[in-house]
Amino acid sequence: MFQILEEPIDVKALIADAFHPDCGAVASFIGTTRADESADARVEYLEYEAYRPMADKKLEEIGEEIRERWEVGYVAIVHRTGRVDPGEPSVVIVVAAPRRGPAFEASRYAIERIKKIAPIWKREVWSDGYVWVGSQVGTRVSEKPVT
Amino acid sequence: MSNVKVLLFGAAADRAGTRQTKVPINHVATLGELWSALADQHPRLVPMRETLAFAVNGEYARMEDTVSPGDEVAVLPPVSGG
Repeated sequence: MFQILEEPIDVKALIADAFHPDCGAVASFIGTTRADESADARVEYLEYEAYRPMADKKLEEIGEEIRERWEVGYVAIVHRTGRVDPGEPSVVIVVAAPRRGPAFEASRYAIERIKKIAPIWKREVWSDGYVWVGSQVGTRVSEKPVT
Repeated sequence: MSNVKVLLFGAAADRAGTRQTKVPINHVATLGELWSALADQHPRLVPMRETLAFAVNGEYARMEDTVSPGDEVAVLPPVSGG
């Protein structure tokens, strides 16, 4: 299952869906939002946006790449958009495989590929402004903007 | 003259002050030519140029690839999903 979701991700249901008699291993990677702090400010929440349907297509492509590389029985990748509060899941990857090696490796591969090719962006909303992660463009006073 | 629909995301939308615009082209143009016209419309995008990627109709494209009237071009800052 590959999905961009505006609502909270039902992590338990996603993992339960991966259990299968042919598979002896289920590995998951769950990315959660981290509330960074600086001397005078802290992250209040993160906000994600995605270019759809390209982002949906890229998640599916990552699933296809995994099936070409490893013997897996089930792959799910779900990514949030919109506001995600600190400590909440922003991305959930679940891989079931007959054996544990491919399950571990494929779930790692999925998150690295998302960070490279999925057209998804996050904005950290700090107590003193915001910043687009990766571009370092925003409104924070301490930020050095591109001019 | 016909239009290409241009979508902007993340920091690029911020810098341009809009999430969507139209860029007029004659028949077929390269993505590089379209970028020049877009940069004239939104000069605040220019300093980001080296960091940007582009998509045409939902797939990553290079500056020498062509765009036609009716195509959808997306301006993609460095992705930061996860």
